[in-house]
Amino acid sequence: MDTLVQNLIASGAFGKNASPSMVAALVVFIMSAVVFLGVAFPFAGIVSWAERRVWARIQSRVGPNRVGPQGFLQWLADGVKHVCKEDIIPDESDAPLFKMAPYLVMLAFTLPWAVMPFSSSLILADLNVGILYMTSVTALTVVAVLMAGWASNDKWSLIGGIRSAAQIVSYEIPAGLSIFPVVLMTGTLSMQGIIRAQGWAPQHWFLFANPFTFVAANILYISALAEGNRTPFDLPEAESELVAGFATEYSGMRYLFFFMAEWGNLFIIGAIIATLFLGGWQFPHVTKNVIAMNILQAITFNVKVLFLVFVSMWIRATLPRVRIDQLMTLCWKYFVPISFVNMIGTAVWVAIWPDGNSLMGYIMLAAAIALAAVFTQRVIYYLRRSRMEVYFNPTI
Amino acid sequence: MSAVSEYVGNIKDAVTSIFEGMAVTASHFMRKPYTVQYPDRMPVRVQDTLPFRYRGILEVDLEICTGCLACERACPIDCIVIVVDKDPQTRQMLLSQFDIDIAKCMYCGLCSEPCPTGSIHHTTEFEGADYSLESLIRRFVKDPVMAYKPKKGPETDTRIAPILNRGMTYLDQWAQPGGEKPAEEEEPA
Amino acid sequence: MSTLHTEEMTLNMGPQHPSTHGVLRFVVRADGEVMREAIPDVGYLHRSIEKIAEKVGYHGFMPYTDRVDYVCAMFTNQGWGMACEKLANIEVPHRGEYCRVIAAEFNRIASHLLSVGAMAMDIGAVTPFTHAIREREMINDLIEELCGARLTFNYMRIGGVAWDLPPGWREKALAYLDHFDPILEEYNALISWNKIYIERLANVGVITPAEAINYNLVGPNLRACGIKWDIRKDIPYSVYPEFEFDVPIGDGHWGKLGDSMDRYVVRIREMAESSKILRQALQKIPGGPVLAKVARNFKPPKGECQIRLESGRGDMGWYVVSDGTGYPWRVHVRTGSFAAMGIIQKLSAGLMIADLVTLIASLDVIAPEIDR
Repeated sequence: MDTLVQNLIASGAFGKNASPSMVAALVVFIMSAVVFLGVAFPFAGIVSWAERRVWARIQSRVGPNRVGPQGFLQWLADGVKHVCKEDIIPDESDAPLFKMAPYLVMLAFTLPWAVMPFSSSLILADLNVGILYMTSVTALTVVAVLMAGWASNDKWSLIGGIRSAAQIVSYEIPAGLSIFPVVLMTGTLSMQGIIRAQGWAPQHWFLFANPFTFVAANILYISALAEGNRTPFDLPEAESELVAGFATEYSGMRYLFFFMAEWGNLFIIGAIIATLFLGGWQFPHVTKNVIAMNILQAITFNVKVLFLVFVSMWIRATLPRVRIDQLMTLCWKYFVPISFVNMIGTAVWVAIWPDGNSLMGYIMLAAAIALAAVFTQRVIYYLRRSRMEVYFNPTI
Repeated sequence: MSAVSEYVGNIKDAVTSIFEGMAVTASHFMRKPYTVQYPDRMPVRVQDTLPFRYRGILEVDLEICTGCLACERACPIDCIVIVVDKDPQTRQMLLSQFDIDIAKCMYCGLCSEPCPTGSIHHTTEFEGADYSLESLIRRFVKDPVMAYKPKKGPETDTRIAPILNRGMTYLDQWAQPGGEKPAEEEEPA
Repeated sequence: MSTLHTEEMTLNMGPQHPSTHGVLRFVVRADGEVMREAIPDVGYLHRSIEKIAEKVGYHGFMPYTDRVDYVCAMFTNQGWGMACEKLANIEVPHRGEYCRVIAAEFNRIASHLLSVGAMAMDIGAVTPFTHAIREREMINDLIEELCGARLTFNYMRIGGVAWDLPPGWREKALAYLDHFDPILEEYNALISWNKIYIERLANVGVITPAEAINYNLVGPNLRACGIKWDIRKDIPYSVYPEFEFDVPIGDGHWGKLGDSMDRYVVRIREMAESSKILRQALQKIPGGPVLAKVARNFKPPKGECQIRLESGRGDMGWYVVSDGTGYPWRVHVRTGSFAAMGIIQKLSAGLMIADLVTLIASLDVIAPEIDR
């Protein structure tokens, strides 16, 4: 960063008396604009399209396929539609809070991108408290959702907002506790530091480092889904109970902000898991070229994240919603105790094998492959049992 | 101890049942969609794929209408209006009005059941959206026409014969009271 | 020292709420998430169908019966047909009865599919609903070929049915049943035995057998409380005595006897039983006419009659009073959904708001059937 700023000043693009700090600020602005406008927002849109397509296939439907190739530009059409809609602010609402809530949601959604480790060099700021920063800024959502629910002055919205607050605050605890095993093993909170401690091969990932981290990864993923208001934990916007929850009174662009943040959060959830447990951008050293290497790493990272995003869509299409008391039971009676066990177990593990047990990596990997094989066998079983030829509709 | 086994059992149940559910959805991810992209991306028109008995928008073949008013009487919502006069010169039945209000019609099929010639019948057409209620009234009589008089033998008029043939095929679908018509299927043992 | 004062919240749920299955309205008094009371408000879908019967005559009322319960219109058709036949002492041909049973049992499967699918949808699982609808759509295709309509069938007439089975239909129907049985198992694997789903339904809205009888619950709702009462078995009508089938009852396997899960599972099992009946009926269907001779100007003798049949939502009653003219003097329909609405107020106390949705879905109330 410093050399870049020095070079820019030396090139004379900003005049002779340009202050280095101002130039640095400008560079950061431009870079963040590129990341948000070029990556974060389109990603949220594309995920909305992808999710609808994935759902549609699982539900024997076609899904949006009219706008652009395979309906790929559907998200743009939806975005334009929402921007053009009337922005309704209810008379009885608390207007300033009502207006502010969507921006706060967007803030909570954009801040984590600062520490997103796309590759070994592509990261806006490799904070030494990276993962802690990530979890804390995503929790800003709770303020925004509570604000939206309260300011709407609608009972359904209020229930939605309060549910959301209870849910996010509760699930912060198992999520935080599930990060500790990794921190214990690496001794750092930096995103890049955690990734560098892992290898490119699956047996060197923290997911397979020991049984405790495997469980921790699953708990962290489920808790992150709960924090992101995803099925089976989409109670704050439970459509069949609360109409649209905290978003009931919103329309147009403001409504879009809530859902853009929800879909965009999927990337952040995936990125946290991929960084902590799936080896992040780690890729074998195939070339000396730094740029080529960075591109390969970025692709690896994105593939891992997108796979996790797909899994969350798949879960959403499969599972029903839990009830609020069951949500709390799951958190406090199951996830929190198990997370503590994980933490202590990992601490003991690290005390016994300070450099990790490489044999365990292979055993865990083999077990995971066996699980995947059983799963594939079940999928094939269901595929074989389907008799699609009975469909009477001659137009198919 | 039972509390512990219940605790572990709950986790086991949740994991296995979700595993199974995910397998089902994954298998559906690999199957073809069942829905069709009506109306523009269809290999054939939907109307052509509908069964013969489909009860779509009513149509009247005036050539074979006998003017017996059976349909008007059968209609429970009076959406059919027929005016039949006797021509003073030829002493024949003259149809001067045959209107069906499609906006009122509930497609029950009670009118086509008693028709002696199959003149009033349901088509497979179902796309009836229009801009006004007025335009939903189908007026079948443009100029007053003679009512059809059924002949003793087979129909000889080459213009009317195919229409009558279609009408009778339509009527054949209906069950005849008392079983004058044998069942179409051969009986299973 | 004064205690902390909390206010109850009055919520208006419906008539335009996503999960009230049509236009129902509930006034919910809630203390946070927990309901004190949910007061049902019916009447948003009242169309005076019973009064219409007095104006359109016996034959003309048949299409209106479809609208009494448009999710399983075959049963309302059959009920009206049976009432008029009993009034005028008409015997339906044997093949006609078989056609009725086949159509009605297909309709029962379709109705239960919609019910269990909508239930999963209310609990937040989106996929089972479309899968259930897909299977229902195939039944609709079959029925469309049989009688020309997909929802408001108007298939039956006084004295039989209006259309015989079309050629080749029997084979198609049997092929569908071969497809349906594995699909039901797949559906169970997808949602019914899902732990979250069971947790949501078990021990929610428990109805004791005595309560069920006192509140006049019928059909699957009654059977889920462990009471073996099915009109098809206990007051046999049509040709049901000729078939072998079980009457599934709730067993409280997942929670208490008579909870929402029991009602759900009874419906799932009833679909399998209907499939069994259909197989037998399609194999055994005799030849002969399907429609008895009935005067077009149908004038039953003076008198009154009451018939009962087992519809998709349970014991359906048709009461007709004839004064000897071509128009009934009074018609009354007794439907299961209306009785089921009555118990909601009692069951709702102490449940959560999310459970109210489950409760409505598990009682399978259909808005048009409540109001008629």
